[in-house]
Amino acid sequence: MLSIKNISKSFAGNVVLKDISMEIVPESIVGIAGPSGGGKSTLLRCIQGLNTVDSGQILCDSKIGFMFQDFQLFPHMTVWQNILYAAKLEKNKSIYELEELAHGLLKKLDIESLVERYPGNLSGGQKQRVALARSLMLQPDLLLCDEPTSGLDIATMGEVVDLLKSVCSKQTAMIIASHDLDFLTRIADRIFLIKNGQIIAHMVVKDLKDPIGYLRTLYGKS
Amino acid sequence: MNFVDWTFIGSGAKVTLELLFGGLSIGVPLSIILVILKRKNLGTWLINPYISIIRGTPLILQLSLIYFASPGILGIKFTVLEAGIIAFALNNSAYMAEILRAGVDSVPKGQFEAAETLKISTFYTWKDIILPQVLANILPAFTNEIITLLKETALIATIGGADIMRKSQMLAAEQFTYFAPLCIAGFLYYILAVLVEFLAKKLEKKIHHA
Ligand SMILES: Nc1ncnc2c1ncn2[C@@H]1O[C@H](COP(=O)(O)OP(=O)(O)OP(=O)(O)O)[C@@H](O)[C@H]1O
Ligand SMILES: [Mg+2]
Repeated sequence: MLSIKNISKSFAGNVVLKDISMEIVPESIVGIAGPSGGGKSTLLRCIQGLNTVDSGQILCDSKIGFMFQDFQLFPHMTVWQNILYAAKLEKNKSIYELEELAHGLLKKLDIESLVERYPGNLSGGQKQRVALARSLMLQPDLLLCDEPTSGLDIATMGEVVDLLKSVCSKQTAMIIASHDLDFLTRIADRIFLIKNGQIIAHMVVKDLKDPIGYLRTLYGKS
Repeated sequence: MNFVDWTFIGSGAKVTLELLFGGLSIGVPLSIILVILKRKNLGTWLINPYISIIRGTPLILQLSLIYFASPGILGIKFTVLEAGIIAFALNNSAYMAEILRAGVDSVPKGQFEAAETLKISTFYTWKDIILPQVLANILPAFTNEIITLLKETALIATIGGADIMRKSQMLAAEQFTYFAPLCIAGFLYYILAVLVEFLAKKLEKKIHHA
């Protein structure tokens, strides 16, 4: 559904991604780990098309959804409007179908009581659920999440794992960028470690006894 | 002070309001065009000096230039009202363009990107996502500029326009008394300014939430 072939990207001569390749298959959850400044966000942004690549190819035949680290909810719209606005513009479903879909998502994400609220007075975890609902309204096949656990406490992080996993079970693949190894090893099937713009390791989580320990040792190496 | 004082000076309000609304209804759309062109990097070599010069020279000079110099230079003789509307519109467009630009800059880049990831078209992104936020951000500065313009329309008296200011001066000259006519004029300007502020507050309430 997504195939990335030898992409490179630099900003004003500063190389941020170097010859990155990966394949994403349906229903998989792929983690992108790596130290700050390693290029995780840039990779997701290139896949989404928010940044252009300098060389290489990104072949994608799936519908992409994107979750920003800071959510970027629309501050002048209620939660309900945030969730429905883009989906209504798509015009491939009736309003009735969309509202059904929205109610289903709100219920699943346990934010039904927030529909009349504005993003300005939601907690971080609530904003994230709203942002997730907003992306899922467009029914993407591939969801890109940038640092979905930043700013959340451990308990909420556990909920995010459950939420995203339940979303993924419905044929949505995911690529999740995070420096939170505990979180990534709990959620991802495969993890790529990106450092200085390069993939320095690729692992299948269930094949390893101690994936976190393994990743930690790799973090240290240059 | 008798009843005639009020209506005579009050009749100047028609000219004042014509200048205000004429200036705004041309100036605001013009400012929007200027900001769009600037964002697209079109004609900035002309737009930047335009804004800079208009903001850097006295309005009374711009008004005089348009009224007194245009017959000689452009071969067009504007009426007092036309010259006033043109001068106030041009002046207003430069200030509004700066307010608008700052307003658009104040919307985080992430909002444009969020709209892009949700496949919202450029038109709807501006109409429903960006501009409502810009409007909320600039409303105080926008109101301020309208009130400034309202008071500055009094400069029309310098080229003979029969607005509130000029009429109060005429009455003063006729009756050899300044205090009452000027107080009435001041009161009228003040009422109009309060009205603008009141409407802006109402609008602000409507678009500001939470
Ligand atoms: N628009 C840009 N212009 C210039 N440099 C940029 C831009 N975006 C990112 N960079 C640079 O690219 C590098 C990688 O940034 P990126 O945000 O992708 O890292 P990251 O792995 O997501 O880090 P973090 O964990 O802190 O989010 C950094 O050095 C950053 O300064
Ligand atoms: Mg990042």
